[in-house]
Amino acid sequence: MFRVNSMENMSSQLPVFHETAHAELASALEMLAACKNTDNPKQAFGYFMHAKDEYSHAKCFFKMLSQRAKKVSTEKAREFRFTPPSLISKGYVSNKGFLIDTMKLKDFIAFVYTNELLAKSSFEKILNLVGPGTDEGNKISSIMMDELRHHGMAKKYFLNSYPALQPWQLAIYRCRETLQNKGRKIYDANLKFLDRVLTPLYKGLAFIAGIMARRLNLIEFKREGKNLMDISSYSIL
Amino acid sequence: MFIGVSGYNHESAAALVDKNGVLIDYYREESLSRIKGDKSFPRRAIKKLLNSNNLKIKDIERVAFYERPLSAFLHTVKEASLNMPRSLPLLAHQFRNFNRSSVSCYLDFAKEFKGLETKLIYSDHHLSHSLTALSYSNSKKDICSVVIDGFGDRSTASISLVVDPTEINELWNCPYPISLGLFYSSITDYLGFSINEGEYKVMGLSAFGDSNSESAKLVSNLMKWDPNSNKLLSDMSYFDYHISTSNSYSRKLEDLLGPARNPFFPLVAGDKDFQRYADIARGAQDLIVNLLIKIFTHAHNLTSSKRFLFSGGVSLNSASIDRLAQLPFVDEIIIPPSPGDSGCAIGAAFFCYIKSNLQNSLNISKPSLFPSVIEKRNDKFLTEKIINDHFDVLADNEDDAFSKAAELIGSGEIIGTIVSSSETGPRALGNRSLICDGRNKDTVKKLNTVIKNRSSFRPTAPAMKYEIAKKYYQLRPELYECYKSMSATCKCIDDNISLEFPTTHVDGTARIQIVEKNSCLEKLLSKLEKFNIEILANSSLNVSGDPTCFDLIDGLMVCARTSLVYLLTDFGLLAKKNSIY
Ligand SMILES: [Fe+2]
Ligand SMILES: [Fe+2]
Ligand SMILES: [Fe+2]
Repeated sequence: MFRVNSMENMSSQLPVFHETAHAELASALEMLAACKNTDNPKQAFGYFMHAKDEYSHAKCFFKMLSQRAKKVSTEKAREFRFTPPSLISKGYVSNKGFLIDTMKLKDFIAFVYTNELLAKSSFEKILNLVGPGTDEGNKISSIMMDELRHHGMAKKYFLNSYPALQPWQLAIYRCRETLQNKGRKIYDANLKFLDRVLTPLYKGLAFIAGIMARRLNLIEFKREGKNLMDISSYSIL
Repeated sequence: MFIGVSGYNHESAAALVDKNGVLIDYYREESLSRIKGDKSFPRRAIKKLLNSNNLKIKDIERVAFYERPLSAFLHTVKEASLNMPRSLPLLAHQFRNFNRSSVSCYLDFAKEFKGLETKLIYSDHHLSHSLTALSYSNSKKDICSVVIDGFGDRSTASISLVVDPTEINELWNCPYPISLGLFYSSITDYLGFSINEGEYKVMGLSAFGDSNSESAKLVSNLMKWDPNSNKLLSDMSYFDYHISTSNSYSRKLEDLLGPARNPFFPLVAGDKDFQRYADIARGAQDLIVNLLIKIFTHAHNLTSSKRFLFSGGVSLNSASIDRLAQLPFVDEIIIPPSPGDSGCAIGAAFFCYIKSNLQNSLNISKPSLFPSVIEKRNDKFLTEKIINDHFDVLADNEDDAFSKAAELIGSGEIIGTIVSSSETGPRALGNRSLICDGRNKDTVKKLNTVIKNRSSFRPTAPAMKYEIAKKYYQLRPELYECYKSMSATCKCIDDNISLEFPTTHVDGTARIQIVEKNSCLEKLLSKLEKFNIEILANSSLNVSGDPTCFDLIDGLMVCARTSLVYLLTDFGLLAKKNSIY
């Protein structure tokens, strides 16, 4: 494949590495949370090793991101700086808590099982981006091996813990998750579309609200000369 | 029982104070979520407070939120509204995210801890800071509180007189958007570091800069103190933090100082532009020191107090504290170990306690530096297989483990610690630390680069006993409390060998820690005497970008992810086997 490492090309690749690094780090945190949440030392061990792998995947993608971001304009690069709380604001970690806290154990393991496979297929695209056989390509190939291994472990564990479930049932789980993922993407695309349509409206509304806000008299909030302990503790103002 | 909570704008946390005025438990949300700087509603922290202390909702008398949410919201909106249309994206963002701002804390309580919302009260943001700081002071009366941060719910800096815990009179404040904290963050951002995290780096970098350079002078003139009106002044056209969601500084600042730094470019001493960046950092540091002197002088003029509480994010600027202590009217400066917003949860909890005990005598106990409750039993059981498979237990009783750890440190090894409860604030004081022989250049370098991946311009802190510190450093009695929590740097004694220590910064200062009696580090230092080691280099135990370790699993994970081999724990001294790589 012919690849030009122009500045533009670099810029267009940044979101891929940025988002993937987020996703991998979020998986690491999910696995770490699962490790701390279980009451079985064997499971804790499994989650621990899985988390460790995900951390190292995240590290790889952050490194690939920074290799590219170094070569673009400062203004562009600034957009792709990593701040940990964006794991939550971007939705990689739910603001309701970790999956293990909010899902049934069975669903959680099924989720891991299917997501590992899905992760692997999305890495195939990245592999094409960096070129198979390059140093980065080799890294990504070995990450894909990890994901396959995780998938295998989750599958084995799932079948062991829920022996009544047949592999075809897992396939259903996988289908469901794939659909949900697609759904998420469509939903996301719709949201982005809505956002484009609504932004002028929001700005218009913000303008009107802003005109009103200008008249706000915040003198009331002055506390100089007052005993702070005496101000009503029920007031949110 | 009383709970204090902080969050939404900066790091969130929850604190528990009992009916006797004792802080009995405290967690930062980031410790539990493992997301550094986590500012979401502290559900995990509150849950853990309740679970670890066997409490039900009905056992909680009151909960205080650390600021007045609507006030915080309206002040930012009002300021932005004065700068339309440039501020429209920020305004639109504020209105759209109204339900994710602290205004929703009532609803979050109602949703996640049904029943607690009815017990919710609100403290002022700077009052919460003041109460946090006050709790760490030995005397709780007639002391001046200076709070300086980015922005709270009304102001960005304030001076109050604490007559006693029930009478705290605000005497001066600096209204938003003029803000020392946000100024320093903007420079942090300009220099390519992350806001709320990279401020330490700016401070470290400033030691390489020259105050007389053109860049430093330009920066140090960006804010001023007006002696006639006793106000801080700032030309806001250099900053965008009050009108933008994404930019903290404006084009005009780049026109003034040259292009901002690409955050992904490594910053190495000697490289092109390094000196310009260092000079800019120097200018920012000079500005902070100069204006802190003005504010403290004004505080003294207003209150005639010689004792000061200092809190808010700007008080984390440890390099400026030594200069403040030299002011002729300063007898004592107290900085709480967690002076930022996460520490405000402690002040908010004491706010509940005071409000509920107005009739009775108040007795606010000075909190421990290591307040969180630990559950050793669960940790040990859960990590059984991880430890069996990947670690050797070198010693399993406490005394042997400490002796063996000392022996390893003596032979130039680096040790991680997960011992007893964790620290309150952002600085590891020995219980969640990476430590090694503080005078061994190679080991300190290895700790900094191989394990921590720290920028080369940030030195590691040295920890020692008081008698040792006296031999090497110009200690100031005004700051004795600060040295216990690494809150102030100090100068090496002139022509002293300490100038050569690897923990000494290029400007001849060190951010020393004087270890507390019976602490983990004190025990280790006692054991190290026979190896002639009197100083430990002490850094927080974490992989760069992560929060400091909280429990044993986090510690084992650092071993698994880095080249760290030894971990001193409550269950003994562990050594990583090779197989984990
Ligand atoms: Fe992965
Ligand atoms: Fe995986
Ligand atoms: Fe604050």
